[in-house]
Amino acid sequence: MEITLRDAFFDKLYDIAKKDRDVVLVSADMGAPSLDKFRADLNSQYLNVGVAEENMIAVAVGLALSRKKVFIYAIVPFTTSRCYEFIKLDISLTKTPITIIGVGAGYSYDDSGPTHHATEDISIMRVLPNMEILNPSDSIMAESFAEMAYKSDHPIYIRLDRKILPNYSNKSDSFKEGYKELKLGKGICIVATGNMIQNALIIHDKCLEKGKNIGVINLYRLKPINVKKFKNCLEKYEHIISWEEHLLAGGMGSILAEIIMDNKLCVKLTRFGVDDQYCYMYGRRNIQRRTGIDVDNVMNEIMEY
Amino acid sequence: MQTKKYTNKIISLKKKANYIRNLVLDTAVKTGAGHVTSSFSCAEILTILYYGNILRYNPKNPSWDRRDRFIMSKGHASIILYPILAELGFFPKEWLNTSCQENGRIGLHLQHDVPGVETTAGSLGHGLGIGVGMALAAKMDKKKYFTFVLLSDGECQEGSTWEATMLAGQHGLNNLIAIIDRNFLCATDFTEKCVKLKPLDKKWKSFGWDVAEIDGHSVEDILHAFKDFRTKKRDKPYVIICNTIKGKGVSFMENKPLWHGRVPKGVEITQAKNELNIGE
Repeated sequence: MEITLRDAFFDKLYDIAKKDRDVVLVSADMGAPSLDKFRADLNSQYLNVGVAEENMIAVAVGLALSRKKVFIYAIVPFTTSRCYEFIKLDISLTKTPITIIGVGAGYSYDDSGPTHHATEDISIMRVLPNMEILNPSDSIMAESFAEMAYKSDHPIYIRLDRKILPNYSNKSDSFKEGYKELKLGKGICIVATGNMIQNALIIHDKCLEKGKNIGVINLYRLKPINVKKFKNCLEKYEHIISWEEHLLAGGMGSILAEIIMDNKLCVKLTRFGVDDQYCYMYGRRNIQRRTGIDVDNVMNEIMEY
Repeated sequence: MQTKKYTNKIISLKKKANYIRNLVLDTAVKTGAGHVTSSFSCAEILTILYYGNILRYNPKNPSWDRRDRFIMSKGHASIILYPILAELGFFPKEWLNTSCQENGRIGLHLQHDVPGVETTAGSLGHGLGIGVGMALAAKMDKKKYFTFVLLSDGECQEGSTWEATMLAGQHGLNNLIAIIDRNFLCATDFTEKCVKLKPLDKKWKSFGWDVAEIDGHSVEDILHAFKDFRTKKRDKPYVIICNTIKGKGVSFMENKPLWHGRVPKGVEITQAKNELNIGE
Protein backbone atom coordinates (compact mmCIF):
# COMPACT_ATOMS: atom_id res chain seq x y z
CA MET A 1 0.00 0.00 0.00
CA GLU A 2 1.32 3.44 -0.88
CA ILE A 3 1.47 5.89 2.00
CA THR A 4 2.67 9.44 2.44
CA LEU A 5 6.24 10.10 3.48
CA ARG A 6 4.94 11.54 6.74
CA ASP A 7 2.96 8.43 7.60
CA ALA A 8 5.89 6.17 6.71
CA PHE A 9 8.13 8.27 8.96
CA PHE A 10 5.72 8.33 11.89
CA ASP A 11 4.87 4.63 11.62
CA LYS A 12 8.56 3.85 11.99
CA LEU A 13 8.96 6.40 14.78
CA TYR A 14 6.06 4.74 16.60
CA ASP A 15 7.90 1.40 16.53
CA ILE A 16 11.09 3.05 17.77
CA ALA A 17 9.31 5.02 20.53
CA LYS A 18 7.52 1.92 21.74
CA LYS A 19 10.86 0.30 22.47
CA ASP A 20 12.62 3.41 23.77
CA ARG A 21 10.59 5.40 26.26
CA ASP A 22 13.05 8.30 26.05
CA VAL A 23 11.78 9.16 22.58
CA VAL A 24 9.52 12.22 22.77
CA LEU A 25 7.52 13.76 19.95
CA VAL A 26 6.79 17.47 20.33
CA SER A 27 4.16 19.03 18.11
CA ALA A 28 2.96 22.59 17.68
CA ASP A 29 -0.65 21.48 17.43
CA MET A 30 -0.13 19.49 14.24
CA GLY A 31 -1.86 16.21 13.65
CA ALA A 32 -1.62 13.35 11.17
CA PRO A 33 -3.50 10.06 10.84
CA SER A 34 -0.30 8.20 11.67
CA LEU A 35 0.13 10.37 14.76
CA ASP A 36 -3.22 9.37 16.23
CA LYS A 37 -1.77 5.96 17.09
CA PHE A 38 1.28 7.57 18.67
CA ARG A 39 -0.87 9.90 20.76
CA ALA A 40 -3.19 7.11 21.86
CA ASP A 41 -0.63 4.45 22.74
CA LEU A 42 2.37 6.55 23.73
CA ASN A 43 0.66 9.54 25.26
CA SER A 44 3.35 10.18 27.85
CA GLN A 45 5.88 10.52 25.02
CA TYR A 46 3.79 12.99 23.06
CA LEU A 47 3.67 16.69 23.87
CA ASN A 48 1.47 19.25 22.18
CA VAL A 49 2.84 22.68 23.05
CA GLY A 50 -0.04 24.40 21.30
CA VAL A 51 0.28 26.99 18.59
CA ALA A 52 3.61 28.26 19.88
CA GLU A 53 6.50 27.38 17.61
CA GLU A 54 9.30 29.27 19.36
CA ASN A 55 8.37 27.60 22.58
CA MET A 56 8.20 24.25 20.78
CA ILE A 57 11.90 24.59 20.03
CA ALA A 58 12.82 25.81 23.52
CA VAL A 59 10.86 23.07 25.29
CA ALA A 60 12.30 20.43 22.95
CA VAL A 61 15.79 21.67 23.80
CA GLY A 62 15.07 21.45 27.53
CA LEU A 63 13.92 17.87 27.03
CA ALA A 64 16.93 16.99 24.86
CA LEU A 65 19.36 18.49 27.38
CA SER A 66 17.70 16.14 29.87
CA ARG A 67 18.65 13.20 27.64
CA LYS A 68 15.36 12.75 25.83
CA LYS A 69 15.49 11.87 22.15
CA VAL A 70 13.33 14.58 20.74
CA PHE A 71 11.48 14.90 17.44
CA ILE A 72 9.76 18.19 16.60
CA TYR A 73 6.93 18.27 14.13
CA ALA A 74 5.06 21.01 12.23
CA ILE A 75 4.49 22.27 8.70
CA VAL A 76 7.82 23.44 7.20
CA PRO A 77 7.49 27.23 7.56
CA PHE A 78 6.31 26.89 11.15
CA THR A 79 9.14 24.63 12.19
CA THR A 80 11.89 26.54 10.36
CA SER A 81 11.52 30.24 9.54
CA ARG A 82 8.94 30.96 12.26
CA CYS A 83 11.32 29.85 15.02
CA TYR A 84 14.61 30.29 13.22
CA GLU A 85 16.60 32.08 15.88
CA PHE A 86 15.63 29.48 18.48
CA ILE A 87 16.89 26.76 16.13
CA LYS A 88 20.08 28.70 15.52
CA LEU A 89 20.99 29.34 19.16
CA ASP A 90 19.45 26.44 21.02
CA ILE A 91 19.93 23.61 18.52
CA SER A 92 22.52 24.48 15.90
CA LEU A 93 25.00 26.39 18.07
CA THR A 94 24.78 23.90 20.91
CA LYS A 95 24.68 20.89 18.53
CA THR A 96 21.71 19.57 20.47
CA PRO A 97 20.60 16.26 18.93
CA ILE A 98 17.04 17.08 17.94
CA THR A 99 15.23 16.04 14.78
CA ILE A 100 13.14 18.76 13.17
CA ILE A 101 10.45 17.28 10.97
CA GLY A 102 8.88 19.66 8.52
CA VAL A 103 6.01 18.46 6.40
CA GLY A 104 5.11 20.14 3.12
CA ALA A 105 8.33 20.44 1.10
CA GLY A 106 8.16 22.85 -1.84
CA TYR A 107 4.62 23.42 -3.07
CA SER A 108 3.20 20.33 -1.31
CA TYR A 109 0.56 22.57 0.23
CA ASP A 110 -0.47 23.64 -3.24
CA ASP A 111 -3.94 24.60 -2.03
CA SER A 112 -2.72 26.80 0.81
CA GLY A 113 -0.70 29.69 -0.57
CA PRO A 114 2.62 31.20 0.52
CA THR A 115 1.95 30.86 4.25
CA HIS A 116 2.37 27.11 3.80
CA HIS A 117 4.83 26.93 0.90
CA ALA A 118 8.34 25.74 1.68
CA THR A 119 10.57 27.32 -0.90
CA GLU A 120 13.30 28.93 1.18
CA ASP A 121 13.82 26.38 3.95
CA ILE A 122 16.81 24.66 2.32
CA SER A 123 18.58 28.00 1.97
CA ILE A 124 18.07 29.07 5.56
CA MET A 125 18.61 25.70 7.20
CA ARG A 126 21.78 24.84 5.34
CA VAL A 127 23.61 27.90 6.62
CA LEU A 128 23.23 26.63 10.18
CA PRO A 129 26.42 24.89 11.32
CA ASN A 130 26.02 21.31 12.61
CA MET A 131 22.66 20.89 10.87
CA GLU A 132 22.13 17.85 8.64
CA ILE A 133 19.40 18.15 6.00
CA LEU A 134 17.54 15.17 4.59
CA ASN A 135 15.02 15.40 1.78
CA PRO A 136 13.49 12.00 1.06
CA SER A 137 11.88 11.37 -2.29
CA ASP A 138 9.73 8.40 -1.31
CA SER A 139 8.21 6.65 1.67
CA ILE A 140 10.85 3.90 1.84
CA MET A 141 13.47 6.57 2.27
CA ALA A 142 11.34 8.49 4.80
CA GLU A 143 10.95 5.36 6.92
CA SER A 144 14.67 4.74 6.85
CA PHE A 145 15.39 8.33 7.82
CA ALA A 146 13.37 7.90 11.02
CA GLU A 147 15.82 5.24 12.15
CA MET A 148 18.83 7.31 11.05
CA ALA A 149 17.57 10.34 12.94
CA TYR A 150 16.95 8.30 16.07
CA LYS A 151 20.56 7.14 16.06
CA SER A 152 22.00 10.56 15.28
CA ASP A 153 24.10 12.56 17.74
CA HIS A 154 23.54 15.92 16.05
CA PRO A 155 20.65 18.08 14.79
CA ILE A 156 18.80 16.97 11.68
CA TYR A 157 16.21 18.74 9.60
CA ILE A 158 13.98 16.43 7.55
CA ARG A 159 11.68 17.98 4.96
CA LEU A 160 8.86 15.70 3.93
CA ASP A 161 6.64 16.03 0.92
CA ARG A 162 2.96 16.07 1.83
CA LYS A 163 1.82 13.90 -1.08
CA ILE A 164 2.10 10.20 -1.83
CA LEU A 165 5.14 9.82 -4.08
CA PRO A 166 6.12 6.74 -6.12
CA ASN A 167 8.72 4.51 -4.48
CA TYR A 168 12.02 4.32 -6.33
CA SER A 169 14.08 3.19 -3.37
CA ASN A 170 14.67 -0.34 -2.16
CA LYS A 171 14.19 -1.43 1.41
CA SER A 172 17.74 -2.74 1.34
CA ASP A 173 19.23 0.69 0.51
CA SER A 174 21.40 2.10 3.29
CA PHE A 175 21.09 5.78 2.24
CA LYS A 176 24.51 6.47 3.67
CA GLU A 177 26.02 8.05 0.57
CA GLY A 178 23.62 10.99 0.53
CA TYR A 179 22.90 10.64 -3.19
CA LYS A 180 22.06 7.94 -5.69
CA GLU A 181 22.66 7.85 -9.40
CA LEU A 182 19.30 6.47 -10.47
CA LYS A 183 20.08 6.65 -14.20
CA LEU A 184 23.54 6.54 -15.66
CA GLY A 185 23.51 8.81 -18.69
CA LYS A 186 25.86 10.49 -21.09
CA GLY A 187 26.54 14.19 -21.51
CA ILE A 188 23.65 15.65 -19.53
CA CYS A 189 22.56 14.75 -16.01
CA ILE A 190 19.67 16.05 -13.93
CA VAL A 191 20.32 16.41 -10.22
CA ALA A 192 17.04 16.64 -8.32
CA THR A 193 15.77 16.21 -4.79
CA GLY A 194 12.51 15.21 -3.12
CA ASN A 195 9.41 15.13 -5.29
CA MET A 196 11.28 16.41 -8.35
CA ILE A 197 12.90 13.00 -8.76
CA GLN A 198 9.73 11.64 -10.31
CA ASN A 199 9.78 14.49 -12.83
CA ALA A 200 13.45 13.89 -13.59
CA LEU A 201 12.69 10.27 -14.35
CA ILE A 202 9.82 11.27 -16.65
CA ILE A 203 12.22 13.48 -18.59
CA HIS A 204 14.79 10.71 -18.66
CA ASP A 205 12.26 8.41 -20.34
CA LYS A 206 11.07 11.09 -22.77
CA CYS A 207 14.64 11.91 -23.75
CA LEU A 208 15.42 8.25 -24.30
CA GLU A 209 12.57 8.12 -26.81
CA LYS A 210 14.26 10.99 -28.61
CA GLY A 211 17.64 9.32 -28.54
CA LYS A 212 19.15 11.21 -25.59
CA ASN A 213 20.34 9.24 -22.59
CA ILE A 214 20.46 11.70 -19.71
CA GLY A 215 21.55 10.76 -16.22
CA VAL A 216 19.48 11.28 -13.06
CA ILE A 217 20.97 11.77 -9.60
CA ASN A 218 18.84 11.87 -6.48
CA LEU A 219 20.50 14.21 -3.96
CA TYR A 220 18.53 13.24 -0.86
CA ARG A 221 21.01 14.48 1.72
CA LEU A 222 21.55 18.15 1.08
CA LYS A 223 23.98 18.58 3.95
CA PRO A 224 26.59 17.35 4.56
CA ILE A 225 27.61 16.18 1.10
CA ASN A 226 30.38 13.68 0.54
CA VAL A 227 32.05 16.03 -1.91
CA LYS A 228 34.99 13.75 -2.72
CA LYS A 229 32.72 11.06 -4.07
CA PHE A 230 29.95 13.28 -5.35
CA LYS A 231 32.23 15.42 -7.51
CA ASN A 232 33.43 12.29 -9.29
CA CYS A 233 29.82 11.55 -10.08
CA LEU A 234 29.28 15.08 -11.47
CA GLU A 235 32.49 15.05 -13.47
CA LYS A 236 31.27 12.16 -15.58
CA TYR A 237 28.96 14.63 -17.29
CA GLU A 238 29.45 17.73 -19.42
CA HIS A 239 26.29 19.48 -18.35
CA ILE A 240 24.49 19.30 -15.02
CA ILE A 241 20.85 20.38 -14.71
CA SER A 242 19.74 21.17 -11.17
CA TRP A 243 16.00 21.02 -10.68
CA GLU A 244 14.19 21.89 -7.50
CA GLU A 245 10.84 23.08 -6.23
CA HIS A 246 12.55 25.76 -4.17
CA LEU A 247 13.92 29.24 -4.61
CA LEU A 248 17.07 29.42 -6.69
CA ALA A 249 18.79 31.60 -4.09
CA GLY A 250 20.63 29.29 -1.74
CA GLY A 251 18.84 26.09 -2.70
CA MET A 252 20.08 22.81 -4.15
CA GLY A 253 21.28 24.49 -7.34
CA SER A 254 23.39 26.83 -5.24
CA ILE A 255 24.86 23.83 -3.44
CA LEU A 256 25.88 22.34 -6.80
CA ALA A 257 27.27 25.67 -8.01
CA GLU A 258 29.43 25.92 -4.91
CA ILE A 259 30.72 22.38 -5.32
CA ILE A 260 31.50 22.92 -9.00
CA MET A 261 33.25 26.22 -8.38
CA ASP A 262 35.11 25.27 -5.22
CA ASN A 263 36.44 22.10 -6.83
CA LYS A 264 37.15 23.71 -10.21
CA LEU A 265 35.05 21.12 -12.03
CA CYS A 266 34.83 21.55 -15.80
CA VAL A 267 31.09 21.05 -15.86
CA LYS A 268 28.38 23.35 -17.18
CA LEU A 269 25.52 24.01 -14.74
CA THR A 270 21.98 25.12 -15.55
CA ARG A 271 19.68 25.71 -12.60
CA PHE A 272 15.92 25.26 -12.66
CA GLY A 273 14.17 26.56 -9.59
CA VAL A 274 11.85 29.32 -8.49
CA ASP A 275 12.98 32.82 -9.29
CA ASP A 276 12.75 35.62 -6.73
CA GLN A 277 9.03 35.42 -5.99
CA TYR A 278 6.17 34.24 -3.79
CA CYS A 279 3.01 33.09 -5.46
CA TYR A 280 -0.70 33.12 -4.82
CA MET A 281 -1.26 30.21 -7.21
CA TYR A 282 -2.99 26.92 -6.66
CA GLY A 283 -2.61 23.38 -7.98
CA ARG A 284 0.90 21.97 -7.95
CA ARG A 285 1.22 21.48 -11.71
CA ASN A 286 -0.13 24.97 -12.29
CA ILE A 287 2.35 26.49 -9.84
CA GLN A 288 5.23 24.55 -11.38
CA ARG A 289 4.18 25.68 -14.86
CA ARG A 290 3.82 29.31 -13.91
CA THR A 291 7.13 29.38 -12.07
CA GLY A 292 8.88 27.68 -14.99
CA ILE A 293 9.88 24.49 -13.22
CA ASP A 294 7.39 22.12 -14.91
CA VAL A 295 8.32 19.03 -16.90
CA ASP A 296 7.49 20.57 -20.29
CA ASN A 297 9.61 23.66 -19.80
CA VAL A 298 12.62 21.77 -18.49
CA MET A 299 12.21 19.14 -21.25
CA ASN A 300 12.12 21.83 -23.95
CA GLU A 301 15.22 23.48 -22.58
CA ILE A 302 17.09 20.19 -22.40
CA MET A 303 16.19 19.30 -25.98
CA GLU A 304 17.91 22.48 -27.09
CA TYR A 305 21.21 21.48 -25.44
CA MET B 1 12.25 35.09 67.09
CA GLN B 2 15.28 34.80 64.87
CA THR B 3 18.12 32.60 66.00
CA LYS B 4 21.67 33.86 66.12
CA LYS B 5 22.58 31.37 63.43
CA TYR B 6 19.93 32.80 61.13
CA THR B 7 21.00 36.37 61.86
CA ASN B 8 24.60 35.47 61.08
CA LYS B 9 23.49 33.86 57.84
CA ILE B 10 21.70 37.05 56.83
CA ILE B 11 24.72 39.20 57.62
CA SER B 12 27.03 36.84 55.81
CA LEU B 13 24.86 36.74 52.68
CA LYS B 14 24.54 40.53 52.63
CA LYS B 15 28.31 40.83 52.78
CA LYS B 16 28.66 38.20 50.11
CA ALA B 17 26.28 40.03 47.77
CA ASN B 18 28.35 43.15 48.19
CA TYR B 19 31.53 41.20 47.60
CA ILE B 20 30.00 39.81 44.39
CA ARG B 21 29.13 43.36 43.27
CA ASN B 22 32.77 44.27 43.80
CA LEU B 23 33.85 41.30 41.72
CA VAL B 24 31.51 42.42 38.93
CA LEU B 25 32.90 45.93 39.03
CA ASP B 26 36.51 44.73 39.11
CA THR B 27 35.96 42.40 36.16
CA ALA B 28 34.17 45.08 34.16
CA VAL B 29 36.86 47.68 34.82
CA LYS B 30 39.65 45.23 34.07
CA THR B 31 38.16 44.06 30.80
CA GLY B 32 36.27 47.21 29.80
CA ALA B 33 33.07 45.27 29.20
CA GLY B 34 30.01 43.96 31.01
CA HIS B 35 26.44 44.78 31.89
CA VAL B 36 27.18 46.07 35.35
CA THR B 37 23.81 47.55 36.31
CA SER B 38 21.83 44.48 35.17
CA SER B 39 24.16 42.44 37.36
CA PHE B 40 23.89 44.66 40.41
CA SER B 41 20.10 44.34 40.38
CA CYS B 42 20.28 40.57 40.80
CA ALA B 43 23.29 40.38 43.15
CA GLU B 44 21.28 39.28 46.20
CA ILE B 45 19.26 36.80 44.14
CA LEU B 46 22.32 35.03 42.72
CA THR B 47 24.19 35.17 46.01
CA ILE B 48 21.37 33.42 47.79
CA LEU B 49 20.84 30.85 45.03
CA TYR B 50 24.51 29.81 45.13
CA TYR B 51 25.58 30.54 48.71
CA GLY B 52 22.28 30.34 50.57
CA ASN B 53 21.73 26.58 50.25
CA ILE B 54 19.10 26.92 47.57
CA LEU B 55 20.66 25.38 44.45
CA ARG B 56 22.15 21.89 44.42
CA TYR B 57 25.32 21.80 42.32
CA ASN B 58 28.67 20.12 42.11
CA PRO B 59 31.60 22.13 40.72
CA LYS B 60 33.63 18.94 40.35
CA ASN B 61 30.90 17.38 38.26
CA PRO B 62 28.94 20.21 36.57
CA SER B 63 26.67 17.79 34.72
CA TRP B 64 25.83 15.84 37.90
CA ASP B 65 22.48 14.25 37.11
CA ARG B 66 20.84 15.26 40.39
CA ARG B 67 21.88 18.92 40.20
CA ASP B 68 19.23 21.59 40.10
CA ARG B 69 19.07 23.23 36.70
CA PHE B 70 19.71 26.95 36.84
CA ILE B 71 19.08 28.86 33.65
CA MET B 72 20.21 32.45 33.61
CA SER B 73 17.92 33.60 30.88
CA LYS B 74 19.06 37.21 31.27
CA GLY B 75 22.39 36.13 29.84
CA HIS B 76 23.65 39.66 29.27
CA ALA B 77 24.36 39.73 33.01
CA SER B 78 26.90 36.92 32.64
CA ILE B 79 29.43 39.11 34.40
CA ILE B 80 27.78 38.29 37.72
CA LEU B 81 27.32 34.56 37.18
CA TYR B 82 30.82 33.91 35.87
CA PRO B 83 32.66 35.23 38.97
CA ILE B 84 30.40 33.12 41.19
CA LEU B 85 31.04 29.98 39.15
CA ALA B 86 34.76 30.72 39.14
CA GLU B 87 34.75 31.24 42.92
CA LEU B 88 32.98 27.95 43.41
CA GLY B 89 35.57 26.17 41.29
CA PHE B 90 33.59 25.43 38.15
CA PHE B 91 36.40 26.96 36.06
CA PRO B 92 39.70 28.82 36.63
CA LYS B 93 39.45 32.39 37.92
CA GLU B 94 41.96 33.44 35.26
CA TRP B 95 39.19 33.19 32.70
CA LEU B 96 37.61 36.30 34.23
CA ASN B 97 40.71 38.41 33.62
CA THR B 98 40.63 37.80 29.89
CA SER B 99 36.87 37.99 29.52
CA CYS B 100 35.90 39.65 26.22
CA GLN B 101 39.59 39.90 25.23
CA GLU B 102 41.25 38.51 22.12
CA ASN B 103 42.64 35.54 24.00
CA GLY B 104 39.60 35.19 26.23
CA ARG B 105 37.65 32.00 26.91
CA ILE B 106 34.45 33.79 27.90
CA GLY B 107 32.63 36.83 26.57
CA LEU B 108 29.87 39.28 27.26
CA HIS B 109 27.04 36.74 27.04
CA LEU B 110 26.59 33.31 28.56
CA GLN B 111 28.11 30.36 26.73
CA HIS B 112 26.70 26.86 27.05
CA ASP B 113 30.18 25.36 26.90
CA VAL B 114 31.33 26.95 30.14
CA PRO B 115 31.18 24.52 33.10
CA GLY B 116 28.19 25.31 35.30
CA VAL B 117 26.26 27.09 32.54
CA GLU B 118 23.22 25.21 31.28
CA THR B 119 22.41 27.19 28.14
CA THR B 120 23.68 29.93 25.92
CA ALA B 121 21.88 33.18 26.67
CA GLY B 122 22.07 36.75 25.53
CA SER B 123 19.12 36.67 23.22
CA LEU B 124 16.15 37.09 25.51
CA GLY B 125 13.04 34.93 25.73
CA HIS B 126 14.71 31.52 25.38
CA GLY B 127 15.33 30.48 28.96
CA LEU B 128 11.89 29.85 30.36
CA GLY B 129 10.87 27.51 27.52
CA ILE B 130 14.06 25.51 27.94
CA GLY B 131 13.36 25.39 31.66
CA VAL B 132 9.87 24.09 30.98
CA GLY B 133 11.42 21.28 28.91
CA MET B 134 13.81 20.39 31.71
CA ALA B 135 11.03 20.42 34.29
CA LEU B 136 8.86 18.23 32.06
CA ALA B 137 11.75 15.79 31.60
CA ALA B 138 12.15 15.59 35.38
CA LYS B 139 8.46 14.73 35.68
CA MET B 140 8.71 12.08 32.96
CA ASP B 141 11.71 10.47 34.65
CA LYS B 142 10.43 11.00 38.21
CA LYS B 143 13.59 12.92 39.08
CA LYS B 144 13.71 15.24 42.06
CA TYR B 145 15.76 18.14 40.75
CA PHE B 146 14.25 21.61 40.49
CA THR B 147 14.60 23.93 37.52
CA PHE B 148 15.20 27.62 38.23
CA VAL B 149 15.03 30.31 35.57
CA LEU B 150 16.18 33.87 36.20
CA LEU B 151 14.42 36.30 33.88
CA SER B 152 14.76 40.01 33.39
CA ASP B 153 11.54 41.98 33.46
CA GLY B 154 12.33 43.34 29.99
CA GLU B 155 12.28 39.70 28.92
CA CYS B 156 8.63 39.58 29.93
CA GLN B 157 7.99 41.69 26.84
CA GLU B 158 9.00 38.67 24.71
CA GLY B 159 6.08 36.64 23.35
CA SER B 160 8.03 33.42 23.79
CA THR B 161 8.23 34.03 27.54
CA TRP B 162 4.46 33.97 27.73
CA GLU B 163 4.22 30.87 25.50
CA ALA B 164 6.38 29.11 28.05
CA THR B 165 4.50 30.60 31.00
CA MET B 166 1.23 29.25 29.62
CA LEU B 167 2.59 25.77 28.99
CA ALA B 168 4.15 25.54 32.46
CA GLY B 169 0.82 26.55 33.99
CA GLN B 170 -1.01 24.02 31.83
CA HIS B 171 1.20 21.20 33.07
CA GLY B 172 1.24 22.35 36.69
CA LEU B 173 5.03 22.21 36.80
CA ASN B 174 5.57 22.44 40.54
CA ASN B 175 9.27 21.67 40.02
CA LEU B 176 9.83 24.91 38.10
CA ILE B 177 10.66 28.23 39.73
CA ALA B 178 10.93 31.45 37.77
CA ILE B 179 12.63 34.45 39.35
CA ILE B 180 12.06 37.83 37.78
CA ASP B 181 14.62 40.57 38.28
CA ARG B 182 12.02 43.33 38.23
CA ASN B 183 14.21 46.41 37.93
CA PHE B 184 11.65 48.27 35.82
CA LEU B 185 14.16 48.93 33.05
CA CYS B 186 14.82 47.36 29.71
CA ALA B 187 17.89 48.42 27.70
CA THR B 188 16.97 51.97 26.73
CA ASP B 189 13.91 52.90 28.73
CA PHE B 190 11.67 52.17 31.68
CA THR B 191 9.47 49.13 31.00
CA GLU B 192 6.34 50.97 32.01
CA LYS B 193 7.12 53.76 29.56
CA CYS B 194 7.62 51.60 26.46
CA VAL B 195 5.58 48.42 27.02
CA LYS B 196 4.13 48.31 30.48
CA LEU B 197 4.19 45.08 32.41
CA LYS B 198 1.91 46.03 35.29
CA PRO B 199 0.15 44.21 36.79
CA LEU B 200 2.90 41.65 36.44
CA ASP B 201 1.81 39.57 39.43
CA LYS B 202 -1.74 39.26 38.15
CA LYS B 203 -0.50 38.32 34.69
CA TRP B 204 1.54 35.38 36.02
CA LYS B 205 -1.23 34.35 38.37
CA SER B 206 -3.74 34.26 35.53
CA PHE B 207 -1.34 32.00 33.60
CA GLY B 208 -1.57 29.42 36.37
CA TRP B 209 1.41 30.24 38.57
CA ASP B 210 1.83 30.74 42.29
CA VAL B 211 3.19 34.25 42.71
CA ALA B 212 5.29 35.94 45.37
CA GLU B 213 6.33 39.56 45.12
CA ILE B 214 9.23 40.64 47.27
CA ASP B 215 12.02 43.16 47.73
CA GLY B 216 14.73 41.62 45.58
CA HIS B 217 17.51 43.25 47.57
CA SER B 218 16.27 41.96 50.91
CA VAL B 219 18.15 38.82 51.87
CA GLU B 220 15.44 38.06 54.42
CA ASP B 221 12.66 38.38 51.83
CA ILE B 222 14.45 36.18 49.30
CA LEU B 223 15.20 33.48 51.84
CA HIS B 224 11.61 33.59 52.99
CA ALA B 225 10.34 33.24 49.40
CA PHE B 226 12.41 30.05 49.01
CA LYS B 227 11.47 28.64 52.41
CA ASP B 228 10.67 24.93 52.21
CA PHE B 229 10.36 25.10 48.43
CA ARG B 230 11.47 21.49 47.99
CA THR B 231 8.93 20.04 50.38
CA LYS B 232 6.09 22.51 50.07
CA LYS B 233 2.99 20.99 48.51
CA ARG B 234 2.33 22.92 45.35
CA ASP B 235 0.43 22.05 42.23
CA LYS B 236 1.63 24.98 40.16
CA PRO B 237 4.89 26.49 38.96
CA TYR B 238 6.16 29.26 41.21
CA VAL B 239 7.34 32.72 40.25
CA ILE B 240 9.12 35.12 42.57
CA ILE B 241 8.89 38.68 41.34
CA CYS B 242 11.86 40.45 42.87
CA ASN B 243 11.47 44.21 42.86
CA THR B 244 14.96 45.55 42.37
CA ILE B 245 16.92 48.63 41.39
CA LYS B 246 19.05 48.47 38.28
CA GLY B 247 22.56 49.48 39.31
CA LYS B 248 21.78 48.95 43.00
CA GLY B 249 24.59 50.04 45.26
CA VAL B 250 26.09 52.83 43.18
CA SER B 251 24.04 56.02 43.30
CA PHE B 252 25.01 57.45 39.92
CA MET B 253 24.16 54.19 38.15
CA GLU B 254 20.88 53.47 39.87
CA ASN B 255 17.80 53.67 37.64
CA LYS B 256 19.75 55.27 34.80
CA PRO B 257 18.96 53.69 31.42
CA LEU B 258 22.21 55.04 29.95
CA TRP B 259 24.22 52.80 32.26
CA HIS B 260 22.81 49.60 30.70
CA GLY B 261 25.93 48.94 28.68
CA ARG B 262 28.43 51.31 30.26
CA VAL B 263 31.47 50.50 32.35
CA PRO B 264 32.70 53.09 34.89
CA LYS B 265 35.89 54.97 34.10
CA GLY B 266 38.32 57.18 36.06
CA VAL B 267 36.80 58.82 39.12
CA GLU B 268 33.60 56.88 38.59
CA ILE B 269 35.47 53.74 39.55
CA THR B 270 36.66 55.20 42.83
CA GLN B 271 33.23 56.57 43.66
CA ALA B 272 31.56 53.27 42.81
CA LYS B 273 34.04 51.36 44.96
CA ASN B 274 33.56 53.76 47.86
CA GLU B 275 29.80 53.47 47.72
CA LEU B 276 29.87 49.70 47.51
CA ASN B 277 32.17 49.44 50.48
CA ILE B 278 30.39 51.81 52.86
CA GLY B 279 29.76 49.97 56.08
CA GLU B 280 32.11 47.09 55.17
